[in-house]
Amino acid sequence: MTNDPVVEATDAVPDGPGPTPADDAARHDHALLRVESVSKVYGSGHTEVTAVAGATLSVDQGEFVALLGPSGSGKTTLISIIGGLLQASSGTVHLGDVDVTALSSRELTRFRAERVGFVFQSANLVPFLTARENLLYVTSLVKGGSRTQAKARADQLLEELGLADRAGNLPEQLSGGERQRVAIGRALMNDPDLVLVDEPTAALDTALGRQVVEMLRREIKSRGKTGIMVTHDLRMVEYTDRVFEILDGSLTHVEEPSALGH
Amino acid sequence: MLALRELQRGRGRFAAIVSALGLLVFLVLILGALADGLFYGATGAVRSTTATAYAFDDEAEGSLVRSRLTRDDVAVLASAPGVVSAGPVGVLLTGGTGPDGDISVAVFGIDSSTAGAPSTLTEGRLPGPEERGVAAADTRLADEGIGIGSEIEVGGIPATVVGMVEDASYQLQPTVWTVLDTWREMRDAVRPELRGQPDAINAVALVTSPGASLADISTTLPESAVLTAEATGLAIPGVEQQASTLNAIIYTTLAVAGLVVALFFALLVLEKRELFAALKALGSSTWRLGSGVIAQAAVSSLLGVIVGAVVARLFGLVIPPNVPTLFRMDTLVTIAVFTIIAGIVGAVFSLRRIARIDPATAIGGVL
Repeated sequence: MTNDPVVEATDAVPDGPGPTPADDAARHDHALLRVESVSKVYGSGHTEVTAVAGATLSVDQGEFVALLGPSGSGKTTLISIIGGLLQASSGTVHLGDVDVTALSSRELTRFRAERVGFVFQSANLVPFLTARENLLYVTSLVKGGSRTQAKARADQLLEELGLADRAGNLPEQLSGGERQRVAIGRALMNDPDLVLVDEPTAALDTALGRQVVEMLRREIKSRGKTGIMVTHDLRMVEYTDRVFEILDGSLTHVEEPSALGH
Repeated sequence: MLALRELQRGRGRFAAIVSALGLLVFLVLILGALADGLFYGATGAVRSTTATAYAFDDEAEGSLVRSRLTRDDVAVLASAPGVVSAGPVGVLLTGGTGPDGDISVAVFGIDSSTAGAPSTLTEGRLPGPEERGVAAADTRLADEGIGIGSEIEVGGIPATVVGMVEDASYQLQPTVWTVLDTWREMRDAVRPELRGQPDAINAVALVTSPGASLADISTTLPESAVLTAEATGLAIPGVEQQASTLNAIIYTTLAVAGLVVALFFALLVLEKRELFAALKALGSSTWRLGSGVIAQAAVSSLLGVIVGAVVARLFGLVIPPNVPTLFRMDTLVTIAVFTIIAGIVGAVFSLRRIARIDPATAIGGVL
């Protein structure tokens, strides 16, 4: 079968044979990340919009999963709630023994700095900091930790990401793929438990996209981190362990990447 | 780290705000120098003396030239409660002749052993008590070739310069200080209509003890009014009006400086909204981002002050000497402090904008 990017890149998600996320969650009772019956409702009355309806999912430590759905399916809202960027209307999110949904906004700021790494759609690096300084900046957001160690860690991450000779470059001097790799380094810099990745390949061509996601998988797996990647791009799910499908705010199935047919 | 690195790497854009502030500071400093020059030039003769207060007739409204008292009043006031010393003051605004030709002068007749003698002698000495035919001259008269040993004539009455005093001009005219008798001879020569009033003086200079009541002093002498030396300076026609007009312009300009900073940083924050949302998502607090912006405003304002001060000082070198300007450290420090405060206050307005940036917008691209 030839790869037809037009067909593969559509927003349609094939309906696979996997179990529902709730059934799946029951099988992962020691999961690091436990999302239970999370809903998010915007507005009220006539203007009420349900972005996420009763989402339940569990992700084990060391897993790299995908949240796959078309635009408007609620995947962005769900991952924002998991990452402590949005308050859920109901339901709970636990990361280890922390109830994320119970934290105040000040506590959430600290929680995100210490325990969550983010990789955004368009890298969103600080334009006036070099690659290395972009990594070091996030260490300044958490208390403690030595400067020397942070520098060594930044250099090591840049080395692993193949950016050792780009460490002193500003983002404008880097290619799109390199920028996204710096963003991966930044997400891992504070040694978070959870890495949330938002459409990392949106601004990249297929080859670069694959390269970035592959690298993302390698970094997350080798460190024993838990990763969730939001995407609508079927081509990228083969690098993940499991795929959660979301449609119209509801999680429908959990699939093996291979079941989604390449 | 973030804020200072941005200043360092985005020099071009910050150069814009620094030059805008520099220009405003330059303008304010020149206006300040003009205000100081006018004020000091007009009031030196009543500020730079030993007197702490002056007594006038009660219709003079604090004007030395309008006031008419007599020599006998000096003794009356000397015995008033709270008065340590009292001395006569005669004033004559006129023209005279120096070694290089005609000069405009204000002749002050005083008694150098009592209140009202200049306290800013730079060279030589003051005329001694009853020492006729000698004078202390304003250092501004040095431009007219006058120095110690020079001879000045007013109305044909000569006086030899024995000392120089600085910051002593009156209504922007350089002063000449003589004993009362020499002053009166000059006055009689220039103003024949005042001949036959040998006892007439203009005012009485007073040294008062701390906390003395000026009102009590004025009741000692009927139909008199007593003002502090500072108030006497402000009562000189035009001084207060000039000062308040120039100050109004100066403070308005400083407010404009604050507004310029506010607008600049509001735009900068607007432009960095996406970045700030991402940084907030990464765990940066509003306060951390806001204090960075405020630090940038403080540094920009400081640089603006330095640029403005340097340009103003250079400009001061090419201002013609007949324009009364005076660059004072006090004024520079005040204006520097106000500019930096205006800059910081301007930047504080961005805080609300930063606080409203929702970190959730960092995910999902455009919502």
